[in-house]
Amino acid sequence: MYSEMHQQGAVRPEYDDLARWIEEIGVDTLLARRAEAEALFRRVGITFAVYGEGGDPDRLIPFDIVPRVFSASEWDRIERGSIQRARALNAFLADVYGAGEIFAAGRVPRRPVFENEAYQPAMQGITPPAGVFGHIIGVDLVRCGPDEFYVLEDNCRTPSGISYVLENREVMSRMFPQLFATGQVRPVDGYPEMLARAMEEVAPPACTGAPQLAILTPGHFNSAYYEHSFLADQMGVDLVEGQDLFTSDGLLWRRTIRGAERVDVLYRRIDDDFLDPRAFRPDSMLGVPGIMDVYRNGGVTLVNAPGTGVADDKSIYVHVPEMIRFYLGEEPIIPNVPTYRCAEADDCTYVLENLADLVVKEVHGSGGYGMIIGPKSTAAEREAYAARIRANPSGFIAQPTLELSTSPTLSENGLVERHVDLRPFVISGREVRLIPGGLTRVALREGSLVVNSSQGGGVKDTWVLNP
Amino acid sequence: MLSRVAGNLFWMSRYIERAENVARLLDAGRRMNTLPTSAEARAAEWSSIVIAAGCSQTFPEPLEQANARSVAEHLIFDRENASSIRSCFHQARENARAVRQAITADVWDAANQAWFEMRTKSSATVLGGEFAQLLDWTKTQGHRFRGAIDDTLLRDPGYHFIRVGQYVERLDATMRLLDVKYHVLLPADEHVGGLIDEVQWLQILRAANSSTAYRHVYRAPVKPDLVVHFLVLNALSPRSLRHSAGMILRHLDLLKSMTGASHDCHSRIYALLGRLEDESVDDIFAHGLHEWLTERIEENHRLANAIADAYGFGQRQPEPVVPAEPGAEVCEAADAAAADASAPGAKMQGQNQG
Repeated sequence: MYSEMHQQGAVRPEYDDLARWIEEIGVDTLLARRAEAEALFRRVGITFAVYGEGGDPDRLIPFDIVPRVFSASEWDRIERGSIQRARALNAFLADVYGAGEIFAAGRVPRRPVFENEAYQPAMQGITPPAGVFGHIIGVDLVRCGPDEFYVLEDNCRTPSGISYVLENREVMSRMFPQLFATGQVRPVDGYPEMLARAMEEVAPPACTGAPQLAILTPGHFNSAYYEHSFLADQMGVDLVEGQDLFTSDGLLWRRTIRGAERVDVLYRRIDDDFLDPRAFRPDSMLGVPGIMDVYRNGGVTLVNAPGTGVADDKSIYVHVPEMIRFYLGEEPIIPNVPTYRCAEADDCTYVLENLADLVVKEVHGSGGYGMIIGPKSTAAEREAYAARIRANPSGFIAQPTLELSTSPTLSENGLVERHVDLRPFVISGREVRLIPGGLTRVALREGSLVVNSSQGGGVKDTWVLNP
Repeated sequence: MLSRVAGNLFWMSRYIERAENVARLLDAGRRMNTLPTSAEARAAEWSSIVIAAGCSQTFPEPLEQANARSVAEHLIFDRENASSIRSCFHQARENARAVRQAITADVWDAANQAWFEMRTKSSATVLGGEFAQLLDWTKTQGHRFRGAIDDTLLRDPGYHFIRVGQYVERLDATMRLLDVKYHVLLPADEHVGGLIDEVQWLQILRAANSSTAYRHVYRAPVKPDLVVHFLVLNALSPRSLRHSAGMILRHLDLLKSMTGASHDCHSRIYALLGRLEDESVDDIFAHGLHEWLTERIEENHRLANAIADAYGFGQRQPEPVVPAEPGAEVCEAADAAAADASAPGAKMQGQNQG
């Protein structure tokens, strides 16, 4: 198990300042201040409701007060690897909905793409401005050793969590200004500006003046609503709901106190299915009737484009390294986790025989649901899961159980090592950019490898140090 | 600014103001409850509070049996009553949450904390002796909320919708407070203008936080015509109709210049303010205070609807009107509205009004 702070009993240099600070301040004080941090989070209203669990709609994601640190050279690799990944995924999406060269070349099979539920026939033949489909892509990374990083999965639909990145930093710098006084920690607050710039860069052909931006939310009952409103606020754009928008004359409009005003670029935080009742789910109350027609004819740019989910499906994931080679002519800077596809007979046999050592996931699943972690399962659980795999092999993939790196985390009994992952957010406009930081999620239960917030994971401030 | 956001801000503000005004009404009731009177008159006092709060429809018991406990329960805690203090804080917070990005952290804090603290209050402790404290606490929430608005919000249209909402609600509340006197009985051996009558008027002044101010302004004992003058016509009083109407006019005028459009609501507020400037207390008493107030309450209600319609957050959702030239200012756009109950925004008002 790789601890990011300690190596052979010694503290790694990038954690020096932090270790000294923890020593000085003491665990009791840290525990007291954690309560203070929680009160701050509740005050700003940064809460997270978990779908289907009921309970308190104002639940907080637990915040761990001990930051996670990356050195400049570690970050350099993460940055280059994430940008490379986002560029390849966007090239792939343009190819899927365009010429299909990668299929013609036999480098990626057609079937898992075009039979995928996330594939949108309505997008076929559409080239969005600057050729960008996934303007915001979250790349989930895990670490297993000093130089051993893997991409665990891609998030090309509407990846969430950026508000935590910014708010975690805000709370940390407010509570512990001395930690930042040396100027070693690179700031993350450029994100809203970076996103606004990228959105302006992809304004549609019909936009003649300064592009007008907006964020579309399903409404304040959505679990990520805080993030939607936080971003709208930080970017200084309207936060709209479906009922605020309508289409007319081939353009998208919002209802304002002055009458109708244009929307040129819409960052929509609702799923494809709900976007346009005329094009997709007719019963959707959240979307905007006719918006797909406007989009198709260049009247508005949708961020992200519909149909991007086809690139982050777990059955497509295994092909991303090949996409990087095919479109960019490069080798992956950060590799995939070795993955077995149960759709392949040999892989499936291997998976069924080694279930106790593997992590098996549903191809279309997300949020840490419907998976089994072999080493932590009982024989009965494995048997039941094996039956599910046999019934529908192509619905599952398997990966070795990775020993995720750990980061010191505050518990009632002092600092303990807990497993972490990292989600950097890659922004693509005419350029591809990244803020120095990302969302670190931490599995708060001892030994747990599941970091998803919907499964009781917490978050940490993530530091990238100056060179 | 989005019409929906304008609506949420307008209602957020109204609900905070309403919570405070319900507390003032209850305070009037609490004070009258300390005066000597008959049992029959006592019940009438409490029922008058329910009527003045506009809650006679939702009150769960026969109105003539209303007492301190049942009225406080209904007006403070009852979740079924959209105007209970609890419901008001809840709805204010929900409206604030829906437009979180249109308000500052300080304003959000005020709305959010009021609701979280309200949730910790129980009717057992409040009715068991902390009644006056709760009413004071409620008023303090209003002060904090308005202070945060005054000190931190941009003076953009959103600010003016908040102010318009506040004063539309206050206009309504002051009229209802004055109308309490109409519903309160005098003991059989008392007469109009007598000691108890005068004390009842004093309690109304006190509930409007105005008894000291009244003495400063008139240097006279409490007299019905002066109380009415103070709470209706005197622009010096921050709770008078004249002041509230003046503030509505000021903020609607600013909205007019910011949006470049004049609407039906503008002519309505000019008419209302004109009446308050021209009429005298004698005119009002000649008309009958209760009748006069009832007419103004309805007039104010129509004004509120006209404001909502003008800015696109009313029951009657305006048809979308697209400017001929993109970017050009749309004048009178919302005025051209046709009734369309099926428009997507139509359900919003219903939600807000609970």
